[in-house]
Amino acid sequence: MNIACVNESSVFTMIAKALACASAALLSACVTSTVDEMVYNKPALGIGDASVVILGRRHASDYETEPDFVTCVGDYIASGDKTITVISELDFLNELYPWFEPRTAPLHPADIERLLQQKPVADKMAALKVEYMIWLDGSTERIGGSGSMACSLGGCFGFGTWSHDANYEATIWDFTDKAEVGHVNTKATGQSYMPAVIVPIPIIAPVQGTACDGIGQQLLQFLSSGQQ
Amino acid sequence: MLLASCGPAHVVVQGNFPPPLIEPLPLTIGVWYSDAFSKHEFFDDAKSKTQSSWIVSTGVAQVQMWDALLAGMFAHIVHLQAQPTPGQAIAGVDAVLIPHVEELQYAIPAQTQVKVYEIWMRYRFELQSADGSPIAEWTMTGYGKTPTALLQSDQEAVNLAAVIALRDAGANFATNFTRLPAIQAWLQEKGVQAVAVTP
Repeated sequence: MNIACVNESSVFTMIAKALACASAALLSACVTSTVDEMVYNKPALGIGDASVVILGRRHASDYETEPDFVTCVGDYIASGDKTITVISELDFLNELYPWFEPRTAPLHPADIERLLQQKPVADKMAALKVEYMIWLDGSTERIGGSGSMACSLGGCFGFGTWSHDANYEATIWDFTDKAEVGHVNTKATGQSYMPAVIVPIPIIAPVQGTACDGIGQQLLQFLSSGQQ
Repeated sequence: MLLASCGPAHVVVQGNFPPPLIEPLPLTIGVWYSDAFSKHEFFDDAKSKTQSSWIVSTGVAQVQMWDALLAGMFAHIVHLQAQPTPGQAIAGVDAVLIPHVEELQYAIPAQTQVKVYEIWMRYRFELQSADGSPIAEWTMTGYGKTPTALLQSDQEAVNLAAVIALRDAGANFATNFTRLPAIQAWLQEKGVQAVAVTP
């Protein structure tokens, strides 16, 4: 573990204004994304044979952090550094049931201490070798749309467009120190189009995927920092 | 096919319910699932022509979830073969638990304009001692929601919300059982040391 508290605050602004929109337009539309990162106490020697768990926060009444987004970020980290063990969200929730359900999940790192006072929980955590717990909170929302399309036996004609906004925050908890060691925030927005001349051609902006890549990249850098 | 599409949307709730990670109480608990509980079904008639009727069958999943939960919470579980009557003594158990589903409500995006599917359930529990006298009676809720997702049908989403609601009910029961004053007093009487399981 890090003894000195290194306060590394960096702001990454990734403006991904698309790979040549003209050619990309055949398959996907443009997405603009921003990633802000603030981390402390990076693992100087990597995380060794310990593991990481990525969990979605599900406390808000009007949205849910999508389970497929949580899986996407986990896959990004696991595929980016094969030495990092990422425990799947569902496996972790099942192994630790009922302690990480929306009703019972710890809201602050200090709450972990109370959880570990229960022997079965402490034993399970030790067996899983959890070193970092990463909470993802946010969602991708469709915001408006316009255009019209008419379809008949002869085909479809018209044009439709809509946009998506993704806003996610990752909070990193150091399980050993029971402390919060960083935040990564990502915002992505993109406009999708659907022109139709006989056949509708969807040109979808991969907003959630871009947000996943943005947040996954920063988390991967944090977790792999000791190996660079 | 046209006829089938006019029927109510039917969801038979299916899911995996893990055992709880809890130190079991050294008690033998008898459990009675009434037909109303083990075959629990919720029916909601369509309010307008644009809505569809819904049948949500939770009975099988209820039994699966409560069996897994109670088996992890107590040293021994005995499934009673007949409904215990008030005052009836039951041999070989420390107490008898009788769960009831009192109410179920659901909401889908078509009704609420919010992009989540929701299920809410209210339970009532009766805990009777081995000699048939009441120990405690209480109510609690379970709530589950799931977001809309591409290529996910309403039925799949309602099923997922119901599974989350059942897990939530289990979490609520497991973490609050030993906090109920009447149950605390009964455990003290039995000389059972209950570990506080505050989440």
